[in-house]
Amino acid sequence: MRPLVLLVAAVAAAAAAEAAPAEPPRGPHRLVVGAELSAAVGPHDGGFFNYTSYEESAQRLARLSLTAEWRVSEPVALLGEVRDENLGRPRVYALYARVRPWRERAFDLQAGLIPPVFGAFARRRYGGDNPLIGYPLLYQYLTSLRPDAAPGSAGDLIANRGGGWRVRYPLGWGDAYPSPGLPVVNALRWDAGVQVRIGSEPVEASAALTQGTLSSPRVRDDNSGKQLSVRAVWKPVTGLVLGASGARGEYLSRSVRQALPEGRSGRGLQQAWGADLEYSRDRWIVRSEAIWSRWDTPALARALQALGLTGEVRCKLVPGLYGAARIDHLGFSRIDGPGGPVSWDAPVWRGEAGAGYTPFRHALAKVSYQRNWRNGGRVQELGLAIGQLVLWF
Amino acid sequence: MKMARLPMLALAVAAGAATPRPARAAAGSIRGRVEVTREPPAPDARPTVGELGMPAARDVPNRRRSVVYLEAAPQGAFEEHERGRTVMDQRNETFVPYVLAVGVGTTVDFTNSDRTYHNVFSLSKAKRFDLGRYARGQSKSVRFDRPGVVRVFCEIHSHMSAFILVFAHRFFATTDGEGRYRIDNVPPGTYTIVAWNDGETRGSRSVRVGDEGGVVEQDFVVR
Repeated sequence: MRPLVLLVAAVAAAAAAEAAPAEPPRGPHRLVVGAELSAAVGPHDGGFFNYTSYEESAQRLARLSLTAEWRVSEPVALLGEVRDENLGRPRVYALYARVRPWRERAFDLQAGLIPPVFGAFARRRYGGDNPLIGYPLLYQYLTSLRPDAAPGSAGDLIANRGGGWRVRYPLGWGDAYPSPGLPVVNALRWDAGVQVRIGSEPVEASAALTQGTLSSPRVRDDNSGKQLSVRAVWKPVTGLVLGASGARGEYLSRSVRQALPEGRSGRGLQQAWGADLEYSRDRWIVRSEAIWSRWDTPALARALQALGLTGEVRCKLVPGLYGAARIDHLGFSRIDGPGGPVSWDAPVWRGEAGAGYTPFRHALAKVSYQRNWRNGGRVQELGLAIGQLVLWF
Repeated sequence: MKMARLPMLALAVAAGAATPRPARAAAGSIRGRVEVTREPPAPDARPTVGELGMPAARDVPNRRRSVVYLEAAPQGAFEEHERGRTVMDQRNETFVPYVLAVGVGTTVDFTNSDRTYHNVFSLSKAKRFDLGRYARGQSKSVRFDRPGVVRVFCEIHSHMSAFILVFAHRFFATTDGEGRYRIDNVPPGTYTIVAWNDGETRGSRSVRVGDEGGVVEQDFVVR
């Protein structure tokens, strides 16, 4: 916890200077609304490589997203987003108030269902912000950890290795109700809490106190624990963005703790550190991100760790047409199993390459080919050709 | 709806079928004022839901600036190509000016006066281009060789947009801060004069420049 606080304090000191004033109100045009419709089609993902927290696949997803920003007054705005996926029940994805108390100071406060502070990818809002169709493994791939159930032994973990789309554990709710596991960072749900941002270019910092964790964002608290997450950004020159993030919070629900056998206890902490960079120039954008995360589980002496790396490049070929590629890896620490040391979940690699074409400004058509490799699980290698159409206004 | 009318403008500009009088008559001028009383619509922006704070300050484009032009011009006017050079700046996340009217062959320099990157692009039929990302103090140029309406955007800042109207003749003018315009050296004849504002043709009138030249007054009100 202490390094996180120090990080915030250091950047705060550097960024206490004056800021550019916030965007002035625009007379009667204070309400801005937007909508985005995206539809991705692809073959059946038999290896469940692209499945998300909602038990749906990111490469077979139709999503309608409605966003609104209401500038109540110069220092106050209300923002929200409602999403409907695959004609299911609409969900409130974002709903928060944004306040800049001092016009000349670079200090912003946001409260409600807020955008995540940690990392870079999860705040990319719109379909066009993701040059490919799939998500980085770090932000989508389901590990074999659950927030409402825990393994009773290393053997339980190994039994679910490479099967994060349907995890069953004996402690908590996990035995009777198999359920998808957690990604390292969930980019498909936002957390509820309070967030501040201080500073302006070239250095700024943000910190948030939220109900859930990176893996398991929550609207309502289910474990009496809070997550502190921080992020510092440095833009030394135009086009280069360097970011560092940290987070620590409790991901295991109260129901797991209540189900623990006598003599066992544990708070179920998730801690994570991340580093990211973006460099863009002319027709090129290069992005890379690394995240290390560890989770404590009550029944295991050793914490479970994961390290993910992603690198992405986009190049505009001609006006309206770009090519893009991404490589991903997600690896896991080792535990002692019956047959010797083994990673607690199956390591995964992903490569995706594709192109996007904009026939007119409010439309983007993407095609990509994605190849997944996994050292474990039922399907260990899978290639997918995917198409996606994004319309927005 | 708004964009559907834009190609009409390009065609009309290129058509050139006025009824000018024979040569040796004195050229005249057409002047007037375009009064924009309509409230400009909201900028084409997207909610900043993914931001961690208030967006940076930015200017509001002058969407009352209009272009007035002759729908058809004397045939010889289409053979004159001035090949000039002009500037469209990017300042406080706004294109300045919001509307630019140029002749065919003109080169426009897109300067960047902001601290952030900009990426000017257009997918318009009259000119399709993408200048990529470039920083403050840098400038990239585009030459416009075909008449028509070119809608310009920034790929990074969705609220940024502008218009460039490319004419095949020289009988056009943009309005000043007061809404005034003036088109000079118009040969005698009867013409249709058009007022264009914020993406649409807002009105047209028939005007006659007499053999003796002089100044013809023509005002427009855009509601």
